[in-house]
This record gives sequence, C-alpha cells and structure tokens, in this order.
Amino acid sequence: MEYIAGLDVGSAFSKAVIVDSDWSLLAFDVRPTSGNFVLAADLVMREALHKAGLSKEDLSNIGACGLGVPFLSPAFKKINDLSCHSRGTHYLLQSARTLIEVGNQSARVMKMTPKGKVADSVVSDKCAAGSGRILHIIAKVLNVNVEELGELSAKSVRPAKFTTNCAVFLETEAISRVAEGTPKEDIIAGLHKSIAAKIAAMVLRLRVEPDCVMTGGIALNGGLVAMMEKEIGQSIRVPEQPLLTGAIGAALIAAEKVN
Amino acid sequence: MFVAGIDIGSTITKIVIKNETEILSTVITRTGAEHRRMALQVMTDALANCDLSFESLECIVATGYGRINVPFADQQVTEITCHMRGVHWLFPTVRTIIDVGGQDSKGIKVKDGRQVDFIMNDKCAAGTGRFFEVIGDVLGVKLEEIGPISLRSEKPADISSLCTIFAEQEALLRLSEGTSVEDILAGLLKANAARIHAMVSKIRIEKDVAMTGGGAKNIGLVKALEQKIGFPMVLPPEPLITGALGAALIAGETARSLRTEELRAKKEKRRLEAVTFFDKDSVR
Repeated sequence: MEYIAGLDVGSAFSKAVIVDSDWSLLAFDVRPTSGNFVLAADLVMREALHKAGLSKEDLSNIGACGLGVPFLSPAFKKINDLSCHSRGTHYLLQSARTLIEVGNQSARVMKMTPKGKVADSVVSDKCAAGSGRILHIIAKVLNVNVEELGELSAKSVRPAKFTTNCAVFLETEAISRVAEGTPKEDIIAGLHKSIAAKIAAMVLRLRVEPDCVMTGGIALNGGLVAMMEKEIGQSIRVPEQPLLTGAIGAALIAAEKVN
Repeated sequence: MFVAGIDIGSTITKIVIKNETEILSTVITRTGAEHRRMALQVMTDALANCDLSFESLECIVATGYGRINVPFADQQVTEITCHMRGVHWLFPTVRTIIDVGGQDSKGIKVKDGRQVDFIMNDKCAAGTGRFFEVIGDVLGVKLEEIGPISLRSEKPADISSLCTIFAEQEALLRLSEGTSVEDILAGLLKANAARIHAMVSKIRIEKDVAMTGGGAKNIGLVKALEQKIGFPMVLPPEPLITGALGAALIAGETARSLRTEELRAKKEKRRLEAVTFFDKDSVR
C-alpha cells in the first residue's frame, strides 16, 4: 500500500489530503494561510499526516497546486490548478460536467470530461470581481462573519442594486448604502447578485451541461449558490467538502506517477 | 467681467474665479457626501478670497461628477470638454491629456483646441487615485508621501497584479519577505503607469502630453509615466484645477455671447443658498 499527499496552497486557505494507492481518502486538514505560504503548507501537511497516523517518510509522492506553490521550500513542481480541481471534483461527484470553482482570488469555470479531465475553461484571476475576496470585504464593512452572509441574505426583501463589479468600488458603494440606512440583508443579497451575475457570464460562455457543480470557499455560502442557480438557470450541486477538490486532484495525479 | 467654474469630482471639489485674463481665486477641498453644501462652501470661500460678491459673477459653469448638484450654476458642461479647455488655455501645444482622478482615469486627444478622441477607465480602481489611497492605508504611508518615497527606490519590486486588491496582497507579501517600502511603492507605481499608458495608447499618444488630476501631484507616478511614454510631460502648476478652469473659460464665453438682458435674467434666478439633499422639496 502506497500513501500519497495532495496540497492546495491558496491565498486564503491551505488544504492537505492523504490518499492511499486504492484512492481512498484517509485524512484531510484545512487551515488559514495567514499570509505565510511556507508555514501554512507545513502545518496543514503535518496535521493531515497526523490524522492519517502517518509520517512524511511514509509518503511515496506529494502533489501540489495553488497560488502559493512557487513559494514553498523545498520546491514542489506545481501541478496545473484546473487539472487538479477537475480530477478532485470528479472523485467526489462522477456526474460533474460543469465546474464552477470560486476561490479567494479567482473564479474558474471548467467543462469536465466523464473521466474528470478539463475539456474547456474560462478563468478570471487578474481581477477581484466575482471572487471570494469580495465577501470578506463586505463582511468587514457590515461587521458580520463571512459564514453568516448566506443566512442573512435569505432574509432580504429588496436586494440593493450595485453599479460596479470592482471590489474596491463595491466596498465604497456598500458603505454608502449603510449610511443611507439600507438593511444589511439587502446589501448582502445585492452583492450576491452582483457576484453571481459576473460568474454566470463566465459560465454561459461555456454552454452549461449538467451536472453543474460549485466548489471553493464561495460554495459554502448557500445564498450565493441559490443566486447562481437563478442566474444560470440550472441546479447546482455542492460536494460535502467543497474546499478540498484541488488537494484531492493533486494527490490523485501524483498517485498516478507512483509506480 | 468675473466668472466662475466649479468642478465637483467624486473625491475633490475645485472652484476657479477669474476675470478676462487671469485666475483670481481657487479653492480645492474634499467633496464628501454632500455635494450641494460643498458647492456653496467653496463658492463662498472663493468669493471671500478675492473679495467679490456673488452678484458680480456674470456666469457660473459647473462640471464633474456632481455637476447636477450645483443649484446656482447657469450651465453644466462635461468634464472632458472642461479639462481640455483648461489645459489648452495653459498649454496650447498639448495634443494629449492624461487625467488621473480619484475614481477614474482618462485620455483626451486635442486638435486645434477641440477634443477629437477620448478613452476612460471608470470600472476598475487600478490606475486611479483610489488604488493609491488603498495602498497608502495598507502600507501606512500618507498619500502625498507615496511619490517622494518611491523615488528613493533603486530596484522597483516586480508586482505582477494590476488589481488593487491583489496588488495590496502582493505588497504585504513582499513586505513580509523584507522588500523595502520604497521598492514596493516604486513597483506599484510602475504597474499603474503601465496600465494608464496602455489605455491612453489606444488613442495614440502625441506630443505635447499634459497630465492632470490628483495623480499628477504624485511625482512617482509622473516619472513612471514619463518613462513609459519616453519623453517628459507638461504639468499645470495646480493639476487639480484644469477642469474648473475650463469651466470658468466657458462661463466667460457664455457671458460674452449673451445679451445683457439675458444675463440679468439668469442672475436673477440664481440663489446662493444651502440647498441640500435633505430639503423636503428636493427629489432624490
């Protein structure tokens, strides 16, 4: 029996999974990156290994993806992010054909083959519009936890309208809305709509095919997922651990190299 | 004959009072949330500065983002026209204007004193004053210090992100790795200058090039842009007032073109008062 680790070092969270050569998921860990890729990667890997009852020496291979990989030491060869997310999603949901993966700094839409490979993609990673980051900014402006946003948005009666996609200008507009007395729920719902519209525009460029799956931190926000369903006119499935798809995919791809 | 031009920007409000030949008074102040009150305030201050009465102004033109919120303006003219007129009066040889404002950046082509082309970014905070406000906050540097500090850099950091948010993160990462603040600022200015340059290049950059707006007061941004362009730009002594100046010039033309009775009728309708958004009569 061989053991392989998968790492996904993101700008907000670092994720590690341990799989065996039967492709069983043995353990995983997620922790905030907190501005230090090296430290976060080290910690999350150690935790995952600990949970699996293994040590680093037991590993036959480590696959790594994510923004922070070039900063890691010892150096890892970075596996293509899209390939990792596609493989990881396929592992969790074989029926997945359209993948919407929205992390802290990017929104990526992929068409998946039945084997979990990337057939086509649309990526936005140069601009914070439509990314998870906006949710953090707004949560701060409204003085709520990011985790509460979905629940709060459900209470909205009249979503506020926003005139911009830019995260910086959205923050200004949100502050104005607060000053004008717009209820929190309406501001959040309005923002969700804005983000959903931006991502939906990307999705619709690729001809949506069911099953449609959403991953990344943003998939934990039920309100935003519901808004996305409305915008693309399709129901969306969210895997049980939507943050892990990149790390799982990295592990599986690394596992294939072990022979 | 005395005239006034008022430019209400998203961030800063400017007013110019002039006679036929020279500028008599200028006031520059932050716009804040209440455009109308601000308009009254700057007008009152500007009149006091040059010891004129409100009634002595023959014509008042308003421009800028908040131009519809000036109850005592006789006319409203777009910013592009006003900036172009103001710059042209100061530098008749200018063919390209690069305006970097609080929340947008623009390129204006000028030929024979007329605007012939135009391009603008108001969708993205990068390449606008907002970018530098955010970065200044994050790095603990005052807006007016960013330029001078950046000039100390000998090796600008390589910042690959153009997005304000991502650049902010990259800057913090570099800081934690030990990169100096001046190198980071220089790198950020370089990236912004490249972005602004790319935009204005689409309408073809031709000599002479003038830079206006708050961005022109950032010596680091000026130098970085000049490096991309390949030659020096001309800078107005006060880059913030070109819009208000242009508005004042247009006010002068209007005043000269109207008959005395028409002018008097306009003036009679004008009221210098504290109209605000919160009047029961004002409609939002």
